[in-house]
Amino acid sequence: MAFTERRGQPSPLKALAYKEFSDRLKSRWVAVITLGFAILTIVVSYFGSAASGVVSFRTMAATVASLTSLVVYFIPMLALTLGGGVIADERDRHTLDLYLSAPITAAEFIAGKYIGLALSLAVPSLLGFSIPGVILLLKTGVGSMGSYMVFVVNSVALGLVFLSISFLTSVMFYERSKVVGFTVLVWLVFTIVYDLGLVGVLIATKGALTPGAFIVMLLFNPVDVYRILNFTTIGEYSVLMGLASVDIPGFIRPSVLWAVTVAWIAAPLLASYYFFKKRYMK
Amino acid sequence: MLNFVRVTKYYNDIKAADEVSFELVEGEMFGLVGPNGSGKSTLLRMMLGIIKPTEGQVLMGGSALKDNDWREFRRLIGYMPERVSFYDNLSGKATLELFANIKGGSIGNIEDILPQLLPWEVLARKVGTYSKGMRQRLNLAQSLLNNPGFLVLDEPTSGLDPIGTRLLYDILDGVRERRKLTVVLSSHMLAEVEEKVNRVGIMKDGALKAVGTLDELYRGLNLPLRLIIMVKNHSLQGAEIRETLKKEGALNITYAGGQITAELPVANKLKMLAAILGHKEDFVDFTLRQPSLEEVFFGIH
Repeated sequence: MAFTERRGQPSPLKALAYKEFSDRLKSRWVAVITLGFAILTIVVSYFGSAASGVVSFRTMAATVASLTSLVVYFIPMLALTLGGGVIADERDRHTLDLYLSAPITAAEFIAGKYIGLALSLAVPSLLGFSIPGVILLLKTGVGSMGSYMVFVVNSVALGLVFLSISFLTSVMFYERSKVVGFTVLVWLVFTIVYDLGLVGVLIATKGALTPGAFIVMLLFNPVDVYRILNFTTIGEYSVLMGLASVDIPGFIRPSVLWAVTVAWIAAPLLASYYFFKKRYMK
Repeated sequence: MLNFVRVTKYYNDIKAADEVSFELVEGEMFGLVGPNGSGKSTLLRMMLGIIKPTEGQVLMGGSALKDNDWREFRRLIGYMPERVSFYDNLSGKATLELFANIKGGSIGNIEDILPQLLPWEVLARKVGTYSKGMRQRLNLAQSLLNNPGFLVLDEPTSGLDPIGTRLLYDILDGVRERRKLTVVLSSHMLAEVEEKVNRVGIMKDGALKAVGTLDELYRGLNLPLRLIIMVKNHSLQGAEIRETLKKEGALNITYAGGQITAELPVANKLKMLAAILGHKEDFVDFTLRQPSLEEVFFGIH
């Protein structure tokens, strides 16, 4: 066996991204999550109307409505656990100093790790929702294909948002136990507590909070942004998401919601970069 | 090469490095010793450009290094961290490929020494199956992937058996014979450092308490030489020799088991030896021992 100089050597960023993604491929993480999402989609679509005594594939729009209410719990948890230990792990292994002593910038290090983990989350989301989507398409027609595609892309984006938040968590805390604790807190706040709090504020202020102000406050929760974006595409089925009674002001267009989602991806990631440099390289 | 000028580093209120000044000379092997928490790791991390001084400067060629300069300089750096735990799910070969890509090196660069460190069949195995010594050998291999001109070794022989330790130094000697390589060796193994380095720096409480060649340190601390004389006539216990030693200024003169032991101030060495040779019919042999790095170390601590 002999090694020779490799031509076209990947950049440090690509090498890091490849390592993170290939680790999840080899550990079958990607396969298991893909299968999980596919089974969830099929079950939700086929047995979704079982309560009314009927079992058959429902339309894509109805499936999106049901899936949205479940995905808001699963994807944030997966993303937060995927990225939560990313820095603490390297620090504990003493490999972090090895990376930082190499000709690689903090931005390349963070970006390489992020891209690798983002792929590990995006690939199962795309495959796990798209493959059953094709079955739905064949069974129920192309009627709501657009909203289903928005749901798939939006679900990937939701994962990226929480992956960014997990990076920030990983950079902010040295101890793994604190990372885990904060991860659970973040998940609880965004998936349950924030909305309950908003409803509480709405009731306590006896309608003083205008619908416009209420919607703007929803934008501060990426899970709500995800819900509204899916809701705006599926029309009558939005009742299943509990948003039918909310008047959405005209300025909340899909383009605005996508922009807010991108901001939710970028802001925690940029903050991670800032705190990483401050904590490990000052 | 790298010149530390009154470098101080604070971590919040803790002073990890305290006005450290010294220059690394290109091509030398520099030993850095000190107890845990003395600031060695902080100094090493500043040498690698990972962290920046709070006060003072790290100069190269007389100029302070900017971020881009550090990035370029890191292309020349090899680093062997202490207690590194490589990824258990990767093979040794995959680990080396990963770090070759990160550092801009190649396994081809160490093709000649790699079989000495880890046989191919071991490299094909996952790191999770490696012994402590194998992991440390892998650590040395990765540090050389980019043909470094500056090598920083943090406790390099920790976990290595005597064969592994000798191999590590043989490999370093081999690389240094072929090209100019500046090495910084941080270690608790004082005897090992003493044997290998050209110069040594001794850290205590964040400060570089002493720096220089071993000889300079012995002289700087005025450490005495140790003289051991095996006397002929045990019944007299070398009384005359002891009297002469005392007269010439030797200290801590003791007799036990047919041997006189005494400490000689370095300045009196030749005069003292001449005086002892005046009693050559009274002794069988004598040994003159230089102070050890350990004595320097404990002299400072």
